[in-house]
Amino acid sequence: MKRLATAIAIAATATAGGTLAAATDTRAPSPLIYPAETIPIAFDHAQHAKLGATCEGCHVSALTSTSVGDNLIPREAACRSCHKIDRDRPDKAVAHGQGAARCDACHVDAAGNKWMPGLVGMPTEPPRVVLARPNLKFNHKLHVTRGIGCALCHASADMSSAPVTRADLPLMASCLGCHDGKQATARCSACHITEADGRLKTKLVSVATMAVGGNGPLVPSGSLRGIDDHGPTFKRDHAPAGRDEKYCLTCHKRNDCIDCHGGVVRPPDIHPADYVSIHAVDGRRNVPDCSSCHRLQTFCVGCHQRLGVAADPEGGLPGRRPNNPFGTGTGLKTFHPPGWVRDAGGAVISTPRPNSHSLAAQRNIRTCVSCHREESCLACHSADPTRGLTVSPHGPNFRDTARCKFLSARNKRACLKCHQVGTPELTCD
Amino acid sequence: MRSRGRLAVLAFVAASAVTRLAAAYDFTVGLRTIGQGYQTRGFAANGANELFSRRRLTQYMDLVVFDIAPSRWRGDDGDRNLLYFDASLRFDTDFGGYMISRPTGPNDIYELQQSQFDILYAFLGGRNVGGRVDFQLGRQIHFDLVDFFAFDGAGVLVHLVRNLGVEVYGGTEVRGELPLSSPIYEIDGTSPGSRDPATRPDQGSMIRPLVGAAVVGGSETGPLTARLAYRRIWSATADWQPGDPDSGVNDEKLSFTANFAWRNRVYAGGGTRFNLLLGEFDDEQLLVKLHTFTRQWVTLEHVYLAPTFDGDSIWNVFSAGAYRDLRAVYEVGLGAEAKIYARGFLRFFTASGRAAGYSMGATWRRGRGFMRADGYWEDGYGGRKVGVDASARLGIRRAFEIEGRLTGYEWRADATSSVALAPNDEGVSFGAQAGGRWQLGRGVKLHLLAEDNFGTFYKSQFRGLAVVEVDASL
Repeated sequence: MKRLATAIAIAATATAGGTLAAATDTRAPSPLIYPAETIPIAFDHAQHAKLGATCEGCHVSALTSTSVGDNLIPREAACRSCHKIDRDRPDKAVAHGQGAARCDACHVDAAGNKWMPGLVGMPTEPPRVVLARPNLKFNHKLHVTRGIGCALCHASADMSSAPVTRADLPLMASCLGCHDGKQATARCSACHITEADGRLKTKLVSVATMAVGGNGPLVPSGSLRGIDDHGPTFKRDHAPAGRDEKYCLTCHKRNDCIDCHGGVVRPPDIHPADYVSIHAVDGRRNVPDCSSCHRLQTFCVGCHQRLGVAADPEGGLPGRRPNNPFGTGTGLKTFHPPGWVRDAGGAVISTPRPNSHSLAAQRNIRTCVSCHREESCLACHSADPTRGLTVSPHGPNFRDTARCKFLSARNKRACLKCHQVGTPELTCD
Repeated sequence: MRSRGRLAVLAFVAASAVTRLAAAYDFTVGLRTIGQGYQTRGFAANGANELFSRRRLTQYMDLVVFDIAPSRWRGDDGDRNLLYFDASLRFDTDFGGYMISRPTGPNDIYELQQSQFDILYAFLGGRNVGGRVDFQLGRQIHFDLVDFFAFDGAGVLVHLVRNLGVEVYGGTEVRGELPLSSPIYEIDGTSPGSRDPATRPDQGSMIRPLVGAAVVGGSETGPLTARLAYRRIWSATADWQPGDPDSGVNDEKLSFTANFAWRNRVYAGGGTRFNLLLGEFDDEQLLVKLHTFTRQWVTLEHVYLAPTFDGDSIWNVFSAGAYRDLRAVYEVGLGAEAKIYARGFLRFFTASGRAAGYSMGATWRRGRGFMRADGYWEDGYGGRKVGVDASARLGIRRAFEIEGRLTGYEWRADATSSVALAPNDEGVSFGAQAGGRWQLGRGVKLHLLAEDNFGTFYKSQFRGLAVVEVDASL
């Protein structure tokens, strides 16, 4: 045990002491947000910028675009201001220092090979730009009017000599640089497409998304909260993330929780096959926490009683012989070992000891609750001699404790289950 | 039970009526039918094991109606003044063999009923109303780091200023014994199966008013969120006798939770809950996750939890013990698709006793496919268990996925049970699952799974699962 603790401590300390700044963001744009696109153009943004070209000089329509579905790639006419293109002369030569006018100066095929009309193996028409509508809401015009420069979001395009691809499109992290709730709204739905009830739309799969690996639903990558990465272990580890109700409901419906936590179907990520055989071990130490999915008295008791594991509550009543429709307590079998309640001489045990009910109850009384009702305890612990054996469950000086005072002040009905009206034990003072 | 059945039918008819009325609006209907056939272990009269064949049929019916408010109310960006109705109903029936029949008459026990109709939630909701208000009216579920409950009533969240809101709610707690209620939300402590007069058998059917309030800070994407909440549930005394209190508190809690995230490198979250029934903190949680070197994460967690019950329960006196956990997880990403991890925990029971465990595993995922393998070991209070677990899913074409799982474990419980049960305290078990999911059409899915287990107690234990899902948006 000590070795394990030491090993964990050393590993944690060594790693946590590492350079936080060494963490780098190597993620690519989501295929579900930016589906596949084809831009068969060889274009050097950096070189054009060096020659004095401006973003808005070519991407004129970006200034007035209000929809993310707009095609903002410049048409040939925009290029003609510098490139003296003549469609009848695909191999037109130009003087040194002038913009190239040959078709293959810009056009490439799907494999990146230069395209010229009439070349063997090449299509007769230049390969077309195919854009898929991103699964986002975005208004370029709105951002332009607020003075946000192109490079703030498209810095990689501005500096790139390589052809621009979907990999150069902005990541969510860059949006959040301004959309922080102060400079601009931080609502997810400001950018993400929503369902009619305001939740984010997560079913975005299409042929275009599948072409770049976007097959499943849109899920957090962990970049926002750090603990919300919906990877293969998320169901098991989601508790800290999953209890931030507002955040989860950004995408989920409430019944997504009930699916697992309603206790109807055994989630394989949580419980292995044949879990019934092993569940008692987990239940006693409460790993995983049973009550996170199961209210014990409305889930465990039914099965335990009908399978003959639990005690019949009526049998626990004082003065009654165990009336046992379930078979327990009749000598047929007894769930608990000898010495659980009474010692070998038949006397009620007075101090907790291994394999006694009091120690088990002190460690995890929830285990008891999965079979027993209050009557089982009242049979011995009630202070009313007509009802129980007056074995006090209270520790020393219970009347001086905060628990006594708070319980007594808020609900005396619990006290009256063992103590009679008017008895001095009913007061904590 | 008869009145419950009638009310259930009435509710279904009402829901159907809403569906018809909503024809002018957008709405989605979700139907999910889950059929299970399985065998479960029981103890035969001679102490041997025997298998009971069980069946279970569960039907979910979900209805969401959108755009209840006129479209002109929704503002330029379309997300103001959203009004909607959201409901989920469930019918669950459990049948097949058991060792005993279900008790009836005066011996009836609520949770043993074999058919149950639940309104899981049903509310009229409003979001971003007037740019400031979210509300829910009807049966609703609430949960946060340290609490989970359901009530019938109204809840309103008012965004006072940027990143700060106030939430108030009130209604009656959802309990199993009330008409059209659901026992799955009921606080443990006072089971309706009790028949001792001292336990006031009718107390569970008393209406329980609930009020609560919270101050909420932070935004969906901001680095810091926090919530300070208070909740109280009480009820009048049933079967009142001279000397009895007129009422009693069933639950009263004050909780605080907070989450902090910094650039995907540091996450810290936690919460604490003060139980005003007991005058003690009964839940404390703190988790820190660090993104250290490239693609490496360390998570450290501390949890303190003390079991508490309904205020009417004597178990609040008995539950002297609590436990404290220290947990650690170390994860390393191998490229964008694979990850390996190691995790461990130490649990300290305040009464006495410890438990510890660790596991190691790896995952790989690409698109809809994934593979995962884990090995684990746990020992200490409760017993020992050692096992391995491997699972995989593979997408085949767009409409079809296959999945499989292999498990194996050995365990030994540390409790020395009675002679008759002693042979059940240890054993080995191996299991295999295989199944698939088909997208049969737009919004229609079929999921089939078969499982067979064998080991110390049986040569074959079968479980079959079939789920049909229908999602229709109209």
